[in-house]
Amino acid sequence: MTTSNNPIRDEIERSTARSRRLRQRDLALGITTPIVLLILWQAASSTNLIDAKIFTPPSKIFATALTLIHNGILTHDLLITSLRLLIGFILGGAVGVGVGILLGIFRTLRAAFSPLFAALYAVPQIAVLPLLLVIFGIGETPKILTVAAVSFFVLEINAMAGVRSIDPQLLEAGSAYGAKGRRLFWHVLLPGSLPAIFTGLRVGVALALVVVTATEFVAANSGLGYLVWNSWQLFEPNAMYVGLITIALVGVILTGIVELISRRLMPWRGRNTRD
Amino acid sequence: MLKSVARMLPNLGERINKVTGEEQDWLVRANQITKVFTTNGQGILALEEVDLTLRQGSFTSLIGPSGCGKSTLLRIVGSIETPSRGSLDQRQSPRIAFVFQDHALFPWLTVLDNVAFGLKMAGIATKERYRRSQLWIERVGLAGFERTFPNALSGGMRQRLSIARAFVTEPDVLLMDEPMGALDEQTRLLIQEDLIRLWEETRKTVLLVTHSIDEAILLGDRVVIMSRRPGRIKTILEVDLERPRSLHTMTDPRFVALKDTIISDLHDEVMASMDLR
Ligand SMILES: Nc1ncnc2c1ncn2[C@@H]1O[C@H](COP(=O)(O)OP(=O)(O)OP(=O)(O)O)[C@@H](O)[C@H]1O
Ligand SMILES: [Mg+2]
Repeated sequence: MTTSNNPIRDEIERSTARSRRLRQRDLALGITTPIVLLILWQAASSTNLIDAKIFTPPSKIFATALTLIHNGILTHDLLITSLRLLIGFILGGAVGVGVGILLGIFRTLRAAFSPLFAALYAVPQIAVLPLLLVIFGIGETPKILTVAAVSFFVLEINAMAGVRSIDPQLLEAGSAYGAKGRRLFWHVLLPGSLPAIFTGLRVGVALALVVVTATEFVAANSGLGYLVWNSWQLFEPNAMYVGLITIALVGVILTGIVELISRRLMPWRGRNTRD
Repeated sequence: MLKSVARMLPNLGERINKVTGEEQDWLVRANQITKVFTTNGQGILALEEVDLTLRQGSFTSLIGPSGCGKSTLLRIVGSIETPSRGSLDQRQSPRIAFVFQDHALFPWLTVLDNVAFGLKMAGIATKERYRRSQLWIERVGLAGFERTFPNALSGGMRQRLSIARAFVTEPDVLLMDEPMGALDEQTRLLIQEDLIRLWEETRKTVLLVTHSIDEAILLGDRVVIMSRRPGRIKTILEVDLERPRSLHTMTDPRFVALKDTIISDLHDEVMASMDLR
């Protein structure tokens, strides 16, 4: 390591180098663990230590994945599931954020709706699917609406909590410095409740994935959920694993996107240099 | 109203005459303010029949035992708290800026944007508001930290930021709640000198809540001493020290005598408030 006679530059260099090193190590560990597990799995099932019919070796799963990509089944299912998920999540989530903020601001609205929503949230949204199927018939609408419902409730609850959790002194300071009405909303209420909204997005996107998979189990003939369920019925564990892994990847990517946006929108919550 | 002042301050007849003479140029006037807080069904009498007049261009220091209602009075004067009884008169709807006791900085704004907040709300164009904010950032010694977020500042730096945020708006009335509470002695002296200079240049109407007797006298035209809770005005002392003042004013015999008076006044109150516990 070079040392100049500028202590600030030295320390900056040292700390960026340190955090880069730590990040690389974390990444390496994060990749190594699943690979090691896969190797163990491969070894165990090819030596018949575990039942290779149920726990088919990763190499076979990989081959199946390639086939499913080639004949377009996997990409098609992935696309369908992503669309259902994103449309439902964005629709339900946006309405949820809006409603949650309104409930957070207006006490009368909160008194009127908050208990009702809390009760409805306690009903597993997937349980409403049959009702939606009765109303809308088998089509895309009931599936998207189920995803939208779960996204709505999670974001409504978190956005409301976010508004409620803003330090009253900040609201006071805001209005003392001339932020009233709409300006108070844009410059104090919204930034102040962003952290809670993002907590809601993180939880919501994961739950939405659970729900879309579950609806595809029972009420679809396309999508990753259908792929998994159908493979079980045909006893094709290879395809089932491919479906499961793809679902997991979708989850990882969506959570990552939410994380990226949250870093962009909330730079003040920057990572602590000490971690 | 004057009668009630007389009732509250029976032994201060000559001071009341002074107050009467100043009636013409008041800017903010709090009349017979009583404030009761209710928490968990319990009522706390924080202020009882307090009168306070801020003259145009005057510097009022407010001092008193902890918990006696200084912050409450300041917030009522700035009309961000409503009195339970009594009224508040403001002349020409003055523009008011606060330095809050616990800063209340916006964590999502950088130092620069925190300072510029009031100007932004007042509709000042971007360039102009950053120019003026930059000036104040430099004056309070935060240059180089413009893009930093408040959570990365030290306590004293946050305090200076909150001073800059108030001053930059060029208010008619400046309400400061222990603006130098968390500063070290050196920085405190520096900012006190700054405040003296700034005030003597601009002659804003200022209400300063402080725990420091030195600061109260050094900066104030008068020192208002409050009694323990329920807060009442116990004494109002005029500070007859000529301006411009500097830190050397603290060695003036009149300063020392005034300080002595305040110490014994406060001592009684603080001792009594300890007994109450
Ligand atoms: N929002 C509130 N709710 C309930 N009680 C309050 C509230 N604000 C203040 N009080 C009570 O009113 C009294 C006066 O409080 P205040 O903050 O005005 O005191 P202070 O003189 O500023 O004290 P300090 O010097 O310690 O800052 C205290 O007993 C406090 O407990
Ligand atoms: Mg206080």
